[in-house]
Amino acid sequence: MNPEPFLNLDRVIHEKGRMAIMSLLAATPELSFTELKQALNMTDGNLTTHIKTLQQAGYVAITKSVQNNRPLTTCSLTTGGRTAFKGYVDLLEQIVRQTKPQI
Amino acid sequence: MNGDWAAQNLQTIRTLMERTALYRRALAPVMIAVGCIGLAAAILGWKLGIAQPDHFIGYWLAVAFIAAGAGFALVRRQAVQAGEPVWSPPARRVVQSALPALGAGLLLAVAVILEAPVKASQFPGLEDILAMKWLPQGWVILYGCAVHAAGFVLPRGMKLFGWAFVVAGSLLFLAGTPSLSPAGYGHALMGFFFGLLHQAYGVYLFLTEKKDPAA
Repeated sequence: MNPEPFLNLDRVIHEKGRMAIMSLLAATPELSFTELKQALNMTDGNLTTHIKTLQQAGYVAITKSVQNNRPLTTCSLTTGGRTAFKGYVDLLEQIVRQTKPQI
Repeated sequence: MNGDWAAQNLQTIRTLMERTALYRRALAPVMIAVGCIGLAAAILGWKLGIAQPDHFIGYWLAVAFIAAGAGFALVRRQAVQAGEPVWSPPARRVVQSALPALGAGLLLAVAVILEAPVKASQFPGLEDILAMKWLPQGWVILYGCAVHAAGFVLPRGMKLFGWAFVVAGSLLFLAGTPSLSPAGYGHALMGFFFGLLHQAYGVYLFLTEKKDPAA
């Protein structure tokens, strides 16, 4: 079996919490911090840490604005993040195909 | 190497994406088109003097089907231009969530057509009130419920638009009988809610929606 796909998996995305954040952001133009928190049932600290990691990798862009006199933080995937996520999903599919028992 | 974890990850990704996927078609042109049809239909209905209860109901049901057809045509054109399927999972969820309330509105209309003449023999004038005052108000509430339900898959603001219809329609039931004739009231109410409000919201969306829906 070729171990290359597994070795090439993006370690930034290949973590349960960050993979979930990337999945949600890949399906929608943007999500607020609160929406992400509610959807993933994460604590503020946990979510902030994961988002910082994704932001440092250049996968997630953060926008801060004010809505109804309240600060609003929204997250979205960057073009690089979208490409990296697609690559990650492609590799997972490749691994599934490789490990599927041959009939 | 066991690939179960990879399959599980893929399944998790799919589930999360489906749960979050928003309906990305630009809704401004749809709202403006529906608003124009609604307003034009209200003016036409009033000018033509459509004042018989069954004619009023039939007329507005036909207008609703025309507006739905126009909305679908606009959405289809956008999807074709973007090279995406029209019947995408978010599109299915929009239709599935709006359908119960819209179906109830249709059934309510059928019930009024069938029942109102029977009751009118006992209570003169009730048929007009039922068909051209209470039914349109009921339609406003049910339409609001449909929009609110679909709002969970639509961009922010749509749920609020649905709420506005539900609250306004409910308040109208509490308000006293207007001095307008039932037909005049019915056409005015339909023109305001399904015409003017849609146009206003469409213009607001046009000014605020992101130009690139996939961005």
